[in-house]
Amino acid sequence: MDLLNTFLIGITAGTIYALMAISMVLVWRSTRVVNFAQAGMALLSTYFGYEAVSRLGSFWIALPVAMIGGALVAALVEIILIRLLVKHSSSGPIAGVAPIIATLGLLGVIRSISAMIWGGQDLRIVGPISNDGFTINGTTLVFSPLKLLILVTVLVLMLILSIVFQKTNIGLALRASAYAPEIARLSGIKVDWVRTLGWALAGAAGAVAGMFQTVNGNGTLSPDSIEFSLLLVSGFIAAVIGGLDSLIGAVIGGLVLGLMIAFVLMYVSSGLFFIAPFVILLTVLFIRPQGIFGAKAARRA
Amino acid sequence: MQRRPVVHKKQSRDIFLFILGGVVLFFLSGMVDELRVYQGATIAIYVIAISSIILLTGYSGQVSLGHGALMAVGAYAAAVTRIEFKLPIILCFVVAVLLAAIGGALLGAAAARLSGPYLAGTTLALAIGLPSLANQFTVLGGEQGLLFDVGFPPLSLGEEFTQYKWFFWIAGLAALISMWIIKNILGSRYGRTWRAIRGNEVAAQLSGINIARSKILAFTISAGIAGLAGALLSMTIGTVSPSAFPLALSFSLLAGAVLSGLTTLGGAMIGAVVLVAIPEIADVVAHRVGSSERVTTNLPGFLVSALLILTVLFVPNGPVEQHRARKAKHLALKK
Repeated sequence: MDLLNTFLIGITAGTIYALMAISMVLVWRSTRVVNFAQAGMALLSTYFGYEAVSRLGSFWIALPVAMIGGALVAALVEIILIRLLVKHSSSGPIAGVAPIIATLGLLGVIRSISAMIWGGQDLRIVGPISNDGFTINGTTLVFSPLKLLILVTVLVLMLILSIVFQKTNIGLALRASAYAPEIARLSGIKVDWVRTLGWALAGAAGAVAGMFQTVNGNGTLSPDSIEFSLLLVSGFIAAVIGGLDSLIGAVIGGLVLGLMIAFVLMYVSSGLFFIAPFVILLTVLFIRPQGIFGAKAARRA
Repeated sequence: MQRRPVVHKKQSRDIFLFILGGVVLFFLSGMVDELRVYQGATIAIYVIAISSIILLTGYSGQVSLGHGALMAVGAYAAAVTRIEFKLPIILCFVVAVLLAAIGGALLGAAAARLSGPYLAGTTLALAIGLPSLANQFTVLGGEQGLLFDVGFPPLSLGEEFTQYKWFFWIAGLAALISMWIIKNILGSRYGRTWRAIRGNEVAAQLSGINIARSKILAFTISAGIAGLAGALLSMTIGTVSPSAFPLALSFSLLAGAVLSGLTTLGGAMIGAVVLVAIPEIADVVAHRVGSSERVTTNLPGFLVSALLILTVLFVPNGPVEQHRARKAKHLALKK
């Protein structure tokens, strides 16, 4: 029973990490920037979601509100910050570290602004359905209707995203701009706006991750909460496991990470909550530095 | 061979300047009030920590968000040797440097295989993970942490010599010595090797530089210096606990280094002063505006982050380098 429990917890957490990893991958593919502020943006969108829940009272209205809010914030960041960054700091000794530093600065700005507006007390978002475990043959599982719902919703969103990427013109433009920006521009794709779109999609995916991470945890929301520190690190690690360039890789990376953390906490020690992701990341980077689905050349960028 | 005497002369001038700077600072410490002395000690510690980042990021081109964790290693090493073995304080600092350097060498061995964002993410995971490990071992004192007491200032310095002034003397001396050492390392063959790698890794490799070994060396030295800064920081706080080394510390150090100019060691002072001054400025601003407590507590973090972004966007190579470039341009125009 322990085994099943751990597996189901790991899978649920894993789908949330996978969403976060997808948003990192979308940004990396569109602008070659690892966005360390992604968790900050997810936090901000979750606050938007909180405002919507407390005004309108429905989680299902709040979720799209958070997604739209997240997409708008991400698009604005791309237009204002990233374009300036590419223009000003793409040469000299700082070129390699400028995007990292700028997105970290952004993380700090978003964190402190949300703390100024909503900080102090812990806010609560109540999930749409119960988080009490299912009962089978008298034993209660940790797996709950809410976790099942998260699992299904995330899978549906991933399905929609992959249809958009594979079957529509927008998806084609996104793929073309990531693969060969110059050629895409020559064939009439507005690469700059496609990049902004990539960021917006990432912002929306991050918003869902933030909302679900909150209700899947203890439901409280605060700028310094453990949930969001974990989201920051896990999204990055899941993306790296999958190989930063691949959306399918991000999904698998998220699931693998979720399962590994769940099993380590269950069978080794629950005190390893924060150090386990680091060890997993180092192991992956040593065994297969380009990630599961990454091309060998991806590392060079 | 003929250049020797010139280099020698320049070196003795530098030594003179360092000593002069030290003497001026020590006399100044007698003239200002206690709070300023304490802040002076903090500035000296930040100078050490920031110069360790400048060495690593500015010269060898590796980004570390984990220097807060390495500072924690140094701080815990110093506190444990002080408590368990009752060694004299200077030996505690030496142990702190050595242990942090060992940690840095291990991290550097992993880091040498990684580049840019991968390295940043890995060290970020470390910065979040490592301090929480302290709760796993009872010898490290858990959430409350350990007491770290460097003792009273020696009586020979006089009755009026306060504890804070003693902190300032220790930190100031450590800052001068470590700046001196870093400056020499950066001017040596190793410094040139690192700059060559940062400029073009393939070209450096072709001219016979062992890339991995140089990168690990840079990480080791930088970590040792960070460990010293960590031990000094816990000296001024009086305790060592996980909460003294949050992720925010690693961020502020990086911000301090960027504000100083990543490639100008002499600028480390600028970043350190800004980091210490910002909470004060934020306090004044908050009082003027009469804002709520929420805003007041988060204003320093906001200012540091905003300043970080603005610097990267508009003064990417730091104020000192910017000034130098403008002057060079001006001269070129005159000719």
